[in-house]
Amino acid sequence: MNTAAQAVTIVMVEDDEGHARLIERNLKRAGVFNEVRHFASGTAAIEHLFGPDGPNGRPVLVLLDLNLPDMSGFDILAKLKEDPKLRFAPVIVLTTTDDEREIRRGYELGCNVYITKPVNYETFAQAIRQLGLFLAVIQVPEAP
Amino acid sequence: MPFTRTALGRATLALLLVGFLCLLGLGGATLWLVEQTRGFTARVEQTQLVRSLAYQALAQLQNLETGQRGYLLTQDRAYLAPYEEARARLPDLLARLAAVTVTATGRQMTGELGRLADEKLAELAETIALVDAGNLPGAVAVVRTDRGRRLMDEARLDIDRLIGTTTTRLTDATGRLVANARWLLWVTLAAIAVIVLVAGFSLWLFRRYAAELEQAGREVQAANAALERRVHERTADLEAANAEIQRFAYIVSHDLRAPLVNVMGFTAEFEIGVESLRALVDRVEAEAPALLTAEARTAAREDLPEAVSFIRSSTQRMDGLINAILRLSREGRRRLVPERLRMAELVGGLAKTVRHQLEERGAVIEVAPDLPDLTSDRIALEQIFGNLLDNAVKYLDPARPGRIEVRGRLDRGPVGGPAGGQAVYEVEDNGRGIPARDHERIFELFRRSGAQDRPGEGIGLAHVRALVRRLGGSIGCDSEPGRGSVFRIVLPRVTVATTGDDQP
Repeated sequence: MNTAAQAVTIVMVEDDEGHARLIERNLKRAGVFNEVRHFASGTAAIEHLFGPDGPNGRPVLVLLDLNLPDMSGFDILAKLKEDPKLRFAPVIVLTTTDDEREIRRGYELGCNVYITKPVNYETFAQAIRQLGLFLAVIQVPEAP
Repeated sequence: MPFTRTALGRATLALLLVGFLCLLGLGGATLWLVEQTRGFTARVEQTQLVRSLAYQALAQLQNLETGQRGYLLTQDRAYLAPYEEARARLPDLLARLAAVTVTATGRQMTGELGRLADEKLAELAETIALVDAGNLPGAVAVVRTDRGRRLMDEARLDIDRLIGTTTTRLTDATGRLVANARWLLWVTLAAIAVIVLVAGFSLWLFRRYAAELEQAGREVQAANAALERRVHERTADLEAANAEIQRFAYIVSHDLRAPLVNVMGFTAEFEIGVESLRALVDRVEAEAPALLTAEARTAAREDLPEAVSFIRSSTQRMDGLINAILRLSREGRRRLVPERLRMAELVGGLAKTVRHQLEERGAVIEVAPDLPDLTSDRIALEQIFGNLLDNAVKYLDPARPGRIEVRGRLDRGPVGGPAGGQAVYEVEDNGRGIPARDHERIFELFRRSGAQDRPGEGIGLAHVRALVRRLGGSIGCDSEPGRGSVFRIVLPRVTVATTGDDQP
């Protein structure tokens, strides 16, 4: 495992505890040991991402569920892509439907991967590894 | 009172008849007056003739006397000339007078005048004869008897009375003519009044009829508008209800999947756990069999894997069903894009995709080259005919060589139906068929008919019916077990573009 990639923090926005648990377990089983910060609501996730305890330029990868109790995942996605720093953070959208309009909208807003639940965890972990690696490569020139 | 066209026609005819009769009466009365006037003119002429002749007769009588007196005074026969002349003319005058006198009193008077003239002539002739004989005193004595004078007075009186009588008759006739003329004037005025009334009444009738027509037209228009508004309201209601159902289906399927994801995910976790337990049981069995109970062995090797496999197959099935509902709801919200479609080509293309399956089974498919074309949504039609052809292939009867046929025709459709009429398509097969009790059921979601020996979830035909209805058409099935099935689709030739719901 690339150490730079491991430095990437995974921010998971998922209101369903079961889904969150399954994602974490499967990531570990697939060998992704990055720190995972789980938020059960859109508000909490935004507070963290844009707050003082947030990434502040450290590399993050966002796992985003679209069906959140307090807002749509698209709202968070749009907010991320408007932010000068966070706009480079890769976003994986996770949702229960494979509605093509929803998928198109996700990609239009700038999501990197769109994954339909129940996930094939092998593909899922592969996507995360690649995106983490991609992130790490980009981070290299900025590293001191 | 509402006014029908027949009633108006009858009333108009009656009024026309009344007007015509008035005019006829007026014409008749005028003719009659003209005739009266002519008769009156003739009478005036006759009266004047009577007067003239009477005065001439009187003048001749006086001439007679004048000649006699002259002769008596002079005994010169030259003075007798007026007498002779008058004696020659008088009978003719009297005869003419008698001829033109028409009334009984007139005739009596002319008769009297004739008698007086004769007597006068006799008296005069007597005196003249006496003078001729040289007996002048005898003649004067005759004159002195006053008989001649009396006769003359009587003759004058008679003539005066004759003239008076004719004048009176003329005055009477004039009075009658004036009265008639006045009467005719009133009749004419009355007729004009009646005609004016008739014309006015007809005008009023027409105006009323026109007003009623206009009113009826307005009412029909209002009713139409109300009807249209109601149709719009109903359509809006239906569309709202439909949208709600679609939304409901979407939310239900969406939210049902969330817990299902957990069930599936944790079943996988469970399976992993069972796997490690089974490895442990195997080790314990090999290294310390005394520790292992029969229950633990059965649980780890048989019961738990079996439970996991049941959960797995059930959740997979549930996932499939939810996906089907989701697909249906999505199809219901898709925007229809009507385009000109050559149906023989479209169905022919679909037939090609099932051809190799058919060849494997030794079956044939025939698509009529004259399928009526449509202006409709391509994707929807591909799904409709694709599903029907798939079903036809899937349920062919292995007992006989399969044969599938697609044909179509135009139908003018019901009155007030979609403009441009409708097209009827039939997909016929000689497959295993469907019992009559299932002809409606097969179009319901998750329902299937006959032996469940072919893969499928009971979604295809429900989907087909939803699509056909969305296009404004209908679908029905005609089938007999062991003989085959005919699926009949009726579609409007032109589908109107719908506003889809592009929001997820």
